This record gives sequence, structure tokens and C-alpha cells, in this order.
Amino acid sequence: MKVMKKVLLAALIAATPMMAQVKEKIEVPYIAFPIKMGKGFDVVQANCLMCHSFGYIINQGRQSKKFWEGKVNKMIVHFKAPITDKDKKIIVDYLFKHYGNGKEQ
Amino acid sequence: MKRREFFKTAAVTAGAAALGTTAAEAGVTHQPIDNRKIGNVAFPEKRPLITYSDRPPLLETPREVFTCALTPNDQFFVRWHMPDIPTYIDTDKFTIHINGMVKKELKITLKELKEDYEQVEVAAVLQCGGNSRSAFDPTAGGIQWGNGAMGCALWKGVRLRDILDRAGLKKGAEWLAVQGKEKAAYYETPNFIRELHLDELDDHVIIAYQMNGEDLPYLNGFPVRLIIPGVYSDSWIKMITNITVTDKYKKLFFMDHAYVVPDNECECETPEKLFPKTKPIYRMNVKSIIGYPTNGAKLTLKSQTVVRGVAFDGGAGIREVQISLDGGKTWDKAILDSGKLGRYAYRTFRYGFRPDKLGKLEIMAKAINKLGEEQPLAKDIKWNHGGYKYNGIDVVTVEVV
Repeated sequence: MKVMKKVLLAALIAATPMMAQVKEKIEVPYIAFPIKMGKGFDVVQANCLMCHSFGYIINQGRQSKKFWEGKVNKMIVHFKAPITDKDKKIIVDYLFKHYGNGKEQ
Repeated sequence: MKRREFFKTAAVTAGAAALGTTAAEAGVTHQPIDNRKIGNVAFPEKRPLITYSDRPPLLETPREVFTCALTPNDQFFVRWHMPDIPTYIDTDKFTIHINGMVKKELKITLKELKEDYEQVEVAAVLQCGGNSRSAFDPTAGGIQWGNGAMGCALWKGVRLRDILDRAGLKKGAEWLAVQGKEKAAYYETPNFIRELHLDELDDHVIIAYQMNGEDLPYLNGFPVRLIIPGVYSDSWIKMITNITVTDKYKKLFFMDHAYVVPDNECECETPEKLFPKTKPIYRMNVKSIIGYPTNGAKLTLKSQTVVRGVAFDGGAGIREVQISLDGGKTWDKAILDSGKLGRYAYRTFRYGFRPDKLGKLEIMAKAINKLGEEQPLAKDIKWNHGGYKYNGIDVVTVEVV
């Protein structure tokens, strides 16, 4: 019986037109992006990292305060991130200070 | 635009720049950033690529890959929207659910997809609408991609039309909402869904399970993704689990807010005055990229050199690729491949010459499609806030030694 099962299993495998080239769970690596430290970083870490890596922040290019405000608002309004008004201000100030272009607008 | 008109336009614009018009205020465009380093960590089934984010994974293909008509799977770019990507798929249990306004709901297994339907293949370019976004100034919102958020593959799968025929559409059915398996961190976050109108379905729109003769890599949407040749990749839903047929268009974040351009003729605006009405990006414009040589390469004086690259558009097909070695004053035809991969695929081009002067040399490539549409110079491309649809003439600067 055991042998029979094995034969059956082998036949099944052979009949499957294509085996997946990945047979187990994949592991997406963690990348330590060189995010800048500074005032408000803990708040950024607590809120932003829930959904995306720091790579997402540092690869937006240098941007205006209005841009960063818009981005944080987008996270709240469209992506429903539970960011408080107090945290929002801290995050925008941090982003503009470290990844800003010096322009308000 | 006819060639002569094009040069006229280019000359006028150049003149404006010379007069000192403050272009930065209106939004300007230059060559995308091209010196990004390849990461030192390989993602699953991938070689190390330019790495913007690990969660969600965002990986860019380096320029030198764009000499081949088909992009190798392990160098194909990766772009997800949500942090939670299934990292394991049970291929025996995975199903694609067809529901909504259908006569018979279907739950199609991978085995059924591969055995019970006609199998078809299409070679098609997959390009992110934000590819080359780093060309825009002021910096447009979003990941600052270079030129490598694109690739071309031979996709194998089943026509979506055949699947819908099997399910049978009810009267009044008009829209399809296609949903994949990626998930947000919060339940309230909108899912990444794409709405398609039934009229958009032609025989080339397929649900693909194979890419260049192999399973789709996980990061490219294993086990199945939607293929819509000629159209930007935000529509090519990965890890499809559900297709719902409806009679009404549902407003969606990604279609109505994220992947949009100004709804005017030039699809342009200025940073000070954004155009109030927008439309989803859709069909790709004509574009070409030089894969060899790359920026900073050293060529030997008088030595035979072959410039290589790829050209494509939204499906009209490429008529011609031209190369300029004198800053765009004169253009010479490159040799195109046979085009046997079809009108949605890359046409590779090659152009042989011998560099005859020492020092810096600019190599420019311009594609023209069968409708006569041609790539503009980078500086003639008008700004849009999302940094979408950049298709400037590619320029590579080398040194002749």
C-alpha cells in the first residue's frame, strides 16, 4: 500500500505540467536604508514603518513642505493610517528638515 | 509631428532657454538620474538590482539590460503597493474567483487554467507609468525611478475574454474590477484594484502564469497576473484572486487619485497651477532606451562600436529608431530587429560607428512609431505633478579615449 501511494504520488508529480520553481515560502530581505536621525524620528518610526520601508521616504527626492504635508495627508485620508494631528505635525517637520528642498510651497 | 516641425519646436524652446526664461518655475525636464548603484542584496528569484524599498519591494533594472528583446526574469523590475505580499502560494489550492454579474460563478484553479482553456502567448512591454520620473524638476511626487522601471517578456496564459465567456456575462455587465492578493497593514486601507471596461478586452489581454518560459517570479505576481499589452503596468494586477463583473464604475484610489495625469491635450500643468481635472494613465507613448554603451563608458578611438537598445510604444509598433552623435543636428537610421515578437514587444536596435574624435561624446536615440509619433527632447517634455509618462530622447555620454 505504501509503495502504491508512492507510485501514485510520483505519477501525480510527473503529470503536473509545471512545478513551481519556488517550493517554499519566500523571504523578502530586510534592507537597512540610511534614514537620518533627528527630532521626531521616533514618531516617524512608529507611524510610517507600519506600512512601508524608509526607502520609500528617502527615494522621494528633496521636496517642499507642502509636498510632505500632502504625502502625510494622503496616508491619513486615502490609506487610513491612524496618525494623530500631533504626530502629523512632528512627522512633517522631520521630513521637511531632513528631506526638504527648503521651500514652503 | 513631422521632423521639420519638430526641429522648429526644439529650436524655439532652446531659444526661450537662452533668453533666460525661468524654466524651473514652470517645471522643466532633464535626463533621468542614471548613476544609481545596484544593491548588494538579492531579492527572491532576482539578481541584485537597484533597490528603492524592501517593503513593499521596489526594484529597478539597470540600463545595460536593455540590449535584449526579452528582459531576463531575474533582472525584471519589481513594483508593489502594499506592505503585505503573500510569500507562499499553495498552487493546489489557489483559485481565481470570477463573480458579480455572471451567469455562473467560477473558481478557476491553476490546473484548470493550464488545461481547460486555450493557451496563448503574447510578448509585451511592462512599464510603470512613473518610469524615468527622476527627469522632472521640480521633483515630481513618487519614487525617483531612473529608466529601468520597465521590461519586456513573453507571457503565456489564457485570454480573459475566454474566461468571461465561460462564466457568461449578464445583461448590463460593463466593468471588471480586478483584485490581487497584496494587502495593506490596516483593514481600512483601500485594496489595490483596477477597473477595466469590457471594451478594453481584446484577444491580447490575458491572465498569464508564465513569463519567458518559466513560472512568474513571486515578485512579478506569481502565480498569475493580468497582461494588458500597450498599457502602463498599474493595470497589470499581480497575484489575481478575484475578478468581479459590475455594471457601474467604482471610484478607486489608485485609478482616480494616484495614477493620473492632467486631463488636457498636453497632459501637462505647472507646479503653481495644477490642472483641476485628471484622468488615469493608460496607453504608453513611444520610447527608446540605449542599453549599450552606458553613461561614463570609455570607447576606443577608431574602434568599431555598436550602440544597442530597445524601443517600444503602446502597440502601434516601431517604424524607425534614429541615432545622433552630434547633439541632435543630424540623425541616422539604426538597424531594427525583425519585429517577430510583435507590436507590443521591444524592438531592439543597433547602430555601428567608429568614434573619430577624442573626448566626450553624446549618443542620442529617438524612436518613431508607425503613427509617426516620435520622442521629444527631454527639455521639451511638459511637467506633470505625478511625474508620469516621461519619454524623452535618451542621451548617453561616453568618453572616447
